[in-house]
Amino acid sequence: MNVSLNWLSTHLDLGGKSIKEIDDLLTFAGVEVEGIETKGIVSEKIVVAQIKEAVQHPNADKLKVTQVDAGEGQLRQIVCGAKNYQVGDKVPCCLPGAELPGGFTIGETKMRGVESKGMLAAAVEIGLPAGEDGLLILPEDFPIGKPVKELFESDVLLELEVTPNRPDLLSHFGMARELATLLKTPLQPLDIPTRSTTPAADITLEAPDACPLYTAVKITGVTVKESPAWLQQRLESIGLRPINNIVDVTNFVLHELGQPLHAFDLAKLSGGIVVRHAKDGETFTALDESEHALTPDDLLISDNSGAALAMGGVMGGLHSGVTETTTDILLESAYFTPQGIRRTSRRTALTSDSSYRFERGVDPQGVLPASALAVKLILETAGGSAEESTQVAGEAPGLTKPVALDTAKLDQLMGGSISLTDAEEILTRLGLEKLADGTWNVPSFRDDLQRHIDLVEEIARVHGLDNVPSRFLGAFVPASPVDLAYDADMILRRRLAALGLYECQTIKLISDAEMVDALPLRPLVDGDVIRVKLPLSEDHAVMRPSIVPGLVTSAARNVRQQAKSLRFFEMGRVFRNAGGGKAKDQESETLALLVGGATAPAAWNQKERQADLYDLKAVIQAIVPNIPIRFLPRERDGFALGCDIKAGDQNIGVFARLKPARERELDFTSPVFAAELDLTKLRKLLAGIDHVEDLPQFPGSSRDAAMEVPATLPNADIENVLLKLGEPLLESFECFDVFADPSGEKLAADRKSVAYRFHYREPSRTLKAEEVDAAHQKALDALTQKLGVKFR
Amino acid sequence: MKEQIPAIQTEALARIAGANDERSLEEVRVGVLGKKGTLTLAAAGMKDVPKEDKAAVGQLLNAARTAITSALEEKQAALQDTADQAALAGIDATLPARAVATGALHPLTQIRDEAIGILRRMGFALADGPEIEDEFHCFDALNTPADHPARNEKDTFYFDSGKLLRTHTSSVQIRTMETAKPPVRIIAPGSAYRRDEIDATHLSVFNQLEGLYVATDVSLPDLKGTLEYFLHELFGPQTEVRFRPHFFPFTEPSFEIDVKLTVKGQAPRWIEVAGCGMVDPAVFESVNASRKDNAFDPDQVTGFAFGMGLDRLAMIRWGIKDIRLLIENDVRFLRQFA
Repeated sequence: MNVSLNWLSTHLDLGGKSIKEIDDLLTFAGVEVEGIETKGIVSEKIVVAQIKEAVQHPNADKLKVTQVDAGEGQLRQIVCGAKNYQVGDKVPCCLPGAELPGGFTIGETKMRGVESKGMLAAAVEIGLPAGEDGLLILPEDFPIGKPVKELFESDVLLELEVTPNRPDLLSHFGMARELATLLKTPLQPLDIPTRSTTPAADITLEAPDACPLYTAVKITGVTVKESPAWLQQRLESIGLRPINNIVDVTNFVLHELGQPLHAFDLAKLSGGIVVRHAKDGETFTALDESEHALTPDDLLISDNSGAALAMGGVMGGLHSGVTETTTDILLESAYFTPQGIRRTSRRTALTSDSSYRFERGVDPQGVLPASALAVKLILETAGGSAEESTQVAGEAPGLTKPVALDTAKLDQLMGGSISLTDAEEILTRLGLEKLADGTWNVPSFRDDLQRHIDLVEEIARVHGLDNVPSRFLGAFVPASPVDLAYDADMILRRRLAALGLYECQTIKLISDAEMVDALPLRPLVDGDVIRVKLPLSEDHAVMRPSIVPGLVTSAARNVRQQAKSLRFFEMGRVFRNAGGGKAKDQESETLALLVGGATAPAAWNQKERQADLYDLKAVIQAIVPNIPIRFLPRERDGFALGCDIKAGDQNIGVFARLKPARERELDFTSPVFAAELDLTKLRKLLAGIDHVEDLPQFPGSSRDAAMEVPATLPNADIENVLLKLGEPLLESFECFDVFADPSGEKLAADRKSVAYRFHYREPSRTLKAEEVDAAHQKALDALTQKLGVKFR
Repeated sequence: MKEQIPAIQTEALARIAGANDERSLEEVRVGVLGKKGTLTLAAAGMKDVPKEDKAAVGQLLNAARTAITSALEEKQAALQDTADQAALAGIDATLPARAVATGALHPLTQIRDEAIGILRRMGFALADGPEIEDEFHCFDALNTPADHPARNEKDTFYFDSGKLLRTHTSSVQIRTMETAKPPVRIIAPGSAYRRDEIDATHLSVFNQLEGLYVATDVSLPDLKGTLEYFLHELFGPQTEVRFRPHFFPFTEPSFEIDVKLTVKGQAPRWIEVAGCGMVDPAVFESVNASRKDNAFDPDQVTGFAFGMGLDRLAMIRWGIKDIRLLIENDVRFLRQFA
């Protein structure tokens, strides 16, 4: 809301308060000051000066050297380029040190070799409305040497954000009332004549639920014309465009008192006013020419013929308003309920200064005074005559009731920082009144004060948190399961960062196009994907069922920025239904990894190597070093090389490479691998050991074996045979070489040679060579029997 | 023999002096002291030396062996020394390091961890709740009326099921109080969603940190002390903190908190960092209704709640001018946080 400081000053004396003080005052009253704009001249150093002489500049055709009298006892030399003045004219002179709009400060300078001690100014240069080209020629009677500031009106425009619980502040009078309370300054009483009222003859109130009070005044014989200067200036001071005297008066009263009004052209009315709900499907064309299909929940102001004149409290109709030919008007002032206005305004997406106030709640007791002020101003500015009494239908709802202040609770909440006397003094200043039974009567404009806690809030707000002591106490609380999960996640994150991966943060709403990269732990079926109803754009329409799409998008973006190494991870929630939508809105947490491109930057002693599957596998193994990680191939739609990831004998996630076609589509020039891991399971794997194992006291022995197997035999088959062997002396084994020869020269092309090293140990003694040999032979025999391998 | 031994010695010493590497030195040792070495053979000739000469020849032999052995050792040491020096020569320590892949925690993780670390020291435990919420936990229980401006499809993401994406982490307050009993002292970091177009200062998905403390006799001084302490830990002990009255449906009184910060090259200014307030009794009543008991009796317990935007804190902390940098994951940005 825009507030003019000059306008505000018509209600209270702000003398002596700097803009900074008013800013602080409002801020600590709970009104956010979003902008302060100074209008008019600010600097004292812009003074009236008379031009005494003007001669041609010796070095510049377009400049003159002037001597001016700025009331300093001696003439001042200023170089000037304007042409519109004559010697003897009075003009604004900016003395050295004068600050101009835009933060520019005038100094003494030389222009083309001639000294210039200041600047003669045009209107726009000193912050006045732009006038004719050249210097601002001032009236002859302006005294030389006087600051120009004092001769022109200046103002400060405050852009204020009022919280939704304080509609009483949405006017100049309301804001002044609040400031007067805070400043303990008297508020100028409003000069509004009291008008008599009469039960309405011409108003039918069919919808008292949405409009409990409707008043109207007929004014006949008005002349619609431009508003007087003072009224135009008021509206312009808060950024409103003057339209005509009638409309301007209603706008003025809205911003003066916070009560929206509406003026109808009586000639366009057929009979009296009917306040009714709209018929289902009834259409309405608003003032802004927008068309709206209405529902019975919307409120209409219509005439006896049924023609809709206005959407009550929201916007007038296109054809019922005041125009230049209007002579008779009907002035509406009413109370519309906030709920109804909110629903209509939301449904039709129509908002106005009126709906803004009605939906927050206006003062029911302010309806008649606002009408009376408007009638007075219309008669003053447009002539005509008003009917004797204001027509009133319905009655002002009583929205406030006495509220009890629980002093013990007040004391507890405030930590004893305010005395009861001071607290009561604050309530009194705010316009509340202590009743005989100890409860507090609340003024009609503060219907936000309904409960004890609302009074406490007012006391705390005015008292200020500065005056409340700080206390440092707290209950002891045990760590929660969320704490434990958080700690595990931070360990994982730090390990991954140390392994050379960057943590990402991607938006959890993804696009359908990105869904092709989704790698959820369990494949999705129809109905498993969760979509928001009204996405902002196609890019953010689906709740991510997997983090991999976000990482792929991030990787693609980095590739476009010439990144060579793609090593990313992200942890967080994923969302899906399950069983084709049978189980809804499941949220779980996963860790996603993406590896591709260079494993590390190239260096003088190191060639760049493109990451392969085993690089990503290494990352997973490294975050849980003591649990063997195995990949078991299982196809994944839309991906290549799909695998289940096993930690020990537990499935913990899925792995895949993007399909080469997808990689090309995204301009990846080397393979990109991704994995998505179940974070709940990973956290458990971080649990660590219960007790430490004794170090071996006796040496072990190793045996190597190279076996020839079909090229297609997965390594996992060999591992499985050895794991199931149950040979107690076989402590561990590892593959240390895989050899294949596609040319078929050293080995048939459909065969490969896989070399393993076997470690044998007996914890309690040193093994004899024969024992090792026997155990080793058992391993080799098992491999021969189960897989038909040949040893080389 | 008396002439032969000094001759062997002289020749051996000369060959030792002439040996240029370990191998030729070893050849000399074998040639002189080995099984068939010249000195070994000479020593074997002792049996033929006349008795009266044995002592003198023996002395000669011993002297020769001692001299040759120590010459060999010296030469061995000298050769090792030369080799060591050669091994170290030519190594240029000023060449760049071998390249290792670097990684980093996301700035949001870093600021969140810092904030959580401070609050945990102050005795807050972590809590969470679903991001796909229902209207009760996101709005109704938080004293937000059905026709509140935030509750429409223009500002909030809804699903066909009627559920919605939580617009704030305050829903975790309700989730926690539904299952716990006072005292409750929790913080809840998490995502929240608003239907805002993404631009330099807005994300449709952003990150908040919620806090709640409910017990008997929790008061404004507790709220003030807790948040002042927290912000001093986060921004430095000298940082000025101010509480501006504000309005939230679920706290009363409510405040916004500003800290006075100096951005490089600018005058210090107040920057909003958090919202807070005393839990509105209506919230406790909703919780009780949902629990079907009176565990959070507004006549017995009071509490305060606070919430802050972590993305915003990260932007303030590191002078990040465009919030989108936090979700674009450009390595050139992330690398700075390694």
